[in-house]
Amino acid sequence: MQKIGTLFGKIISWAVVLVLIVFTVYPVIYALLGSLKTNAELTLGNSILPAVPQWQNYYTAFIKSNFLEYGKNSLIVSLATMALAVITTSLSGYILARFDFAGKKLMTVSYAAMMFVSIGAVALYPIMQMLDKIGMSKSMLSLVLVLTGGQITNVFLVQGFVKGVPKELDEAARIDGCSIFRTWWQIIMPLIRPILGVVALFTFRNTWNDYITTLVMTMSNKKLTTLTVAVVQLKYSVFAAAEWHIMLAGASLAIIPVLTLYFFTNKQFIAGLTAGAVKG
Amino acid sequence: MKKTGIKRGWKENAQIYGMLAPNLLLFLLLSVYPIIWTCRFMFYSYGGLGTGAPAFVGLDNFKRLFTNDPVFWISVKNTFVYAAGKIGLVIPLAFFSALMLNKKTLKGAGFLRATLFLPTIMSSAVMALVFYLLFNVYNGEVNKYIMRLGLTSLPINWLGQQHAMMTVIIIGIWGGLGNYMIYFLAGLQGIPEDTYESASLDGANWWQRVWYITLPMLGPVLKMILMLSIVIAFQDMSTVMVLTEGGPVNATMIMFLYAYQFFFPIAPGSMISTQFGYGAAVSVVAAGIVGIVTVIYLVLSRKLDDIY
Repeated sequence: MQKIGTLFGKIISWAVVLVLIVFTVYPVIYALLGSLKTNAELTLGNSILPAVPQWQNYYTAFIKSNFLEYGKNSLIVSLATMALAVITTSLSGYILARFDFAGKKLMTVSYAAMMFVSIGAVALYPIMQMLDKIGMSKSMLSLVLVLTGGQITNVFLVQGFVKGVPKELDEAARIDGCSIFRTWWQIIMPLIRPILGVVALFTFRNTWNDYITTLVMTMSNKKLTTLTVAVVQLKYSVFAAAEWHIMLAGASLAIIPVLTLYFFTNKQFIAGLTAGAVKG
Repeated sequence: MKKTGIKRGWKENAQIYGMLAPNLLLFLLLSVYPIIWTCRFMFYSYGGLGTGAPAFVGLDNFKRLFTNDPVFWISVKNTFVYAAGKIGLVIPLAFFSALMLNKKTLKGAGFLRATLFLPTIMSSAVMALVFYLLFNVYNGEVNKYIMRLGLTSLPINWLGQQHAMMTVIIIGIWGGLGNYMIYFLAGLQGIPEDTYESASLDGANWWQRVWYITLPMLGPVLKMILMLSIVIAFQDMSTVMVLTEGGPVNATMIMFLYAYQFFFPIAPGSMISTQFGYGAAVSVVAAGIVGIVTVIYLVLSRKLDDIY
């Protein structure tokens, strides 16, 4: 057990931890509390709590700024991407874990290489061009497909997990006449629920929070804008200089759903982070 | 597993490839194709709609990049400064936090860990907006607090040319601390208790235990964490994009953001002329620089392995 020797050392160490906690939490609290303040309170004022909670800030953001619509988009897109990610990664993860096939080495190596090779958001241009050519650049389906992507990390995650499922179970099912696909669906899927939960959680969060990809993909069709993109765009709007309270109400709207999700599932988030990452 | 002696029927092969197809297709179209596109068009001059067809210009883009583009090299410098600053601070802090919050018996350690992990959950773009307000020169809480506490008499221009990079690094640390802490915690759990006990019996104090037991035994985990932090730090773009848009006067312009602006506006309405060919060249060189850094890191960390 790590014990810090002197009492003085202990006090300093815990003071540092306290500072880190405050540092971490402060911006979030600021956004949440600030969303209920008046603009004057935010810019000139000095109090932590709002004098009178200005719930109408949320009304302004919701109704006048269309955030209800954008929130709906965020929800649909995040859920759809989450579902697609779970399905595609579990299909690939299972096959990779159990079967050899022509091109498997190539596939594995390219996937691993792409984890480190990245040309950044510039990749969105050829993607948009390609979608434009087939007339799909304005659909929500394209947005979902692009946000799902190759899911490289998650594929490896699922693959590793499936390796931990005894092969005998597959083989018994196959001997009984189950096709590979049915084995996947009826035997494997129920058994890999924990890792699928991790994939689902992380995909949902990444999609909800995504800015650049969604921004670019919705440039030609503003109706698809998600909440995160809409909120950040407030910075460039007429609200920017004069209406901090609306910006913070918008920001709070964008972070409250994920915050709530986190409140209930933080153990899974934290456990999921190290699920495949740390090998001894 | 190879089924020796039993040939796989076509039906099985069809299923295997069919099940791989969705994920593989997305990978090829969304990860591989853009790279091929970029590697092709970096040899072209290509201005987008209305400026004519792409024209092959050979190495002209690279000539311009290496001899006539000071802003790009500023962005390279900025990227390294950001990565070094962020990694140099967040890794020790994360390690420290992991050490402190590793106690399973401490009531509330779980709560503290979950709290420090919170920033990872948030959208970095949305939080950049919040930080934009917090670091505002006259009305931002940060300046309000430090002036009220009497630490300075003049407000600090956190987002001004002089300090913007430091502010971006601070926000980067904010976002990454919990993330790396969790990785360290996972690594720490792999170190058996008795190693510490026998060391204590031999008279080792806390510092010696960390230095001689914890760090060496964390070796592989530390390597992975550093690798991850390097890759993330070099690709991190949304915070800068929202907070400072690369400014002021390129003070926070980082490589991939610089490449991005040849394709899309950084902020609505701030479009410069599109230059896809040149932008492609910039992206490839940037990716190459990251690749070189990665390789250097891997070589160095292998050497460190030999020492230990």
